[in-house]
Amino acid sequence: MSHIILEARDVRYRYPRGREAIGGISFHFRRGEKIALVGPNGAGKSTLLQMFNGMIRPDSGTMLFDNEPIRYDTASLRQLRRRVGFVLQNADRQIIAPTVYQDVAFGPTNLGYDEAGVKEAVSTALRQVGLVGFERRPPHQLSGGEKKRVAIAGVLAMDPDVLVFDEPTSGLDPSGSEDLMELLDELNHDGKTIVISTHDVELAYPWADRAILLADGQIIREDVPDVAFGNTRYVRMAHLSVPTLLELSAELEKRGFVIPERKPRSVLDMIHIIESHLHGSGSHLTPGTITVCNVDEGNTATLSTWVNAHPDLVVGAMGTRAKQCAVQEQIALEFTYGVIDKCILRALRGRDSLILTPGSMVGRVAVRVEAYCKESGNTISVVNLNTANQPPITGSTNEEMKEE
Amino acid sequence: MFEELLEDVAQKNGLREVNTYIKLAAGLSAIVLCLLSTGYASPLFIALVLSATVLLLARVELRTYAELFLVPLWFALMSAIVIVLISGGEHVFWSWDPLPFLSLSVSRESINTGFFILCRVIGSMSALLFIALTTPMTDLFVVMRNARVPDFVIDLAMIIYRTIFFLLDQVQQIYRAQVMRLGYSGWRESIHTFAMMCGAAFITSWDAGDDLVRAMDARCYDGKFALLGENRPVELRPLAALVTFIIVASVAVVASQGMTLL
Repeated sequence: MSHIILEARDVRYRYPRGREAIGGISFHFRRGEKIALVGPNGAGKSTLLQMFNGMIRPDSGTMLFDNEPIRYDTASLRQLRRRVGFVLQNADRQIIAPTVYQDVAFGPTNLGYDEAGVKEAVSTALRQVGLVGFERRPPHQLSGGEKKRVAIAGVLAMDPDVLVFDEPTSGLDPSGSEDLMELLDELNHDGKTIVISTHDVELAYPWADRAILLADGQIIREDVPDVAFGNTRYVRMAHLSVPTLLELSAELEKRGFVIPERKPRSVLDMIHIIESHLHGSGSHLTPGTITVCNVDEGNTATLSTWVNAHPDLVVGAMGTRAKQCAVQEQIALEFTYGVIDKCILRALRGRDSLILTPGSMVGRVAVRVEAYCKESGNTISVVNLNTANQPPITGSTNEEMKEE
Repeated sequence: MFEELLEDVAQKNGLREVNTYIKLAAGLSAIVLCLLSTGYASPLFIALVLSATVLLLARVELRTYAELFLVPLWFALMSAIVIVLISGGEHVFWSWDPLPFLSLSVSRESINTGFFILCRVIGSMSALLFIALTTPMTDLFVVMRNARVPDFVIDLAMIIYRTIFFLLDQVQQIYRAQVMRLGYSGWRESIHTFAMMCGAAFITSWDAGDDLVRAMDARCYDGKFALLGENRPVELRPLAALVTFIIVASVAVVASQGMTLL
């Protein structure tokens, strides 16, 4: 297990002349985790988040970063804030400068990078959030989702280890929220520890590695999401609701369905439970193939002809770069979030699909599909378009035949 | 109450990609030439050229441009009429002495002076609008830094620039909420509601200021602001156009020396 990066030991905080906002909280986050702080309005989520980068100093107790107690002198705080990036709820208030470039460059400039270094950091950050070409735009002309991305890029430009988001999806439309959550996944995949605060359980449940339920400045429960959200008593105490998937699986269990140890966290898991109840383990169809195309490898020019040659194929894109590539090549995208799961679902019905993905996430597709196959006893093959010479779909179905 | 912002027009104008210095040089030289001119024809010529540039090359809508132009133009027209009435001359067409210390007259000289001043205003106005509509503020910050304006002035200007839009947005929201609940229905209510809006806007801006400091702190503020330093390269065609404009306008100024309407 990776080592602890952020830790709180019995921290308490009271606002001047106010009630106690945080009352004796202890927890720790490990490097590379995805944490959701969930609780109703006024539970102390924002206050707690602001302790992570030293904006608020607890009245008592200790905050530790990288196993060192946080020190509150200017130099140490600067160092801490470089490593713990904070994205405010209201992106409008986080964006300081008159153009996107200047805003993203704000952090690196103040860290004393030279001009080339600043440029490099800015273009990397803008590429990560998918805002290349927005450099000279003034922020007040951007949409809500774009502003959010600018705010995130501004933090990413300092290359922090931990990213803290206060209500990341508030004010975004549903598809914007999905895009953002996927961006968070992408960043997590690049090795960042991500902490979000939210009161949207449906959003937090499938996403988080661990959930912390907060109410009235106290931790009610800290656990993996299916346990934390599965207990109705805790959920009621935290003024939340049980996620639909968990509620559904509880009802199915009462009706004699076999629910595995690990509760369903996606539609795919749910379908698996239902199908194995109906037909026993495994599917009777020959599963379809998932083809993966790495958009970073530069042979995207032939992509649209390849897609046109396979009319039954459905295309999904993971990550901002892949989506931009699809727009460029005029490929219609069916799936833009939860892509791997949706393609597996499709493969189970015997249909083929193509996933466009940046190079960093090619491995993830294979890992996820393999994990699913192992669990469910199905065989779905993943083919890499970039390395396959002949039409990959026929090649792989032969393999399928042999295995069956 | 809230029209399209000048800055938004500038951000989208067709000459956005032309080097900032060329645009500034065109605008500033036009103002200087208008001031140097002694006949009415050259300022009108400059206004014609610059307006055509704004409308045809920068593709600013005629309606927007006309609205922007008309407001100060009325003002200038009033001033010109006053000048015509109170300045005297030799060839008097009409005069009236309503009071012992006040005499109004219209003479050939006064009409010439008034018309000349009006033309100068039109010329300079079009030059100012040319700069405002083709050069967004964000590009001017870069020029300011190159011109060695102190850093804190530029930083302040940039924060103000950013905050204006945010504040305007807030005021707009408050205003709408008030109108929806019939806030401005009577004269007394209007004053009351307006005062409430000012109060609310003040609190919002105070709050936003707090957040600004936090946002800057969270990103390691150390007294430095980045600027996108790169200007567009000086291209041959805009440069040639600028030089031609200055030469032709100068010739017009010299040729129209002392030209009068009557």
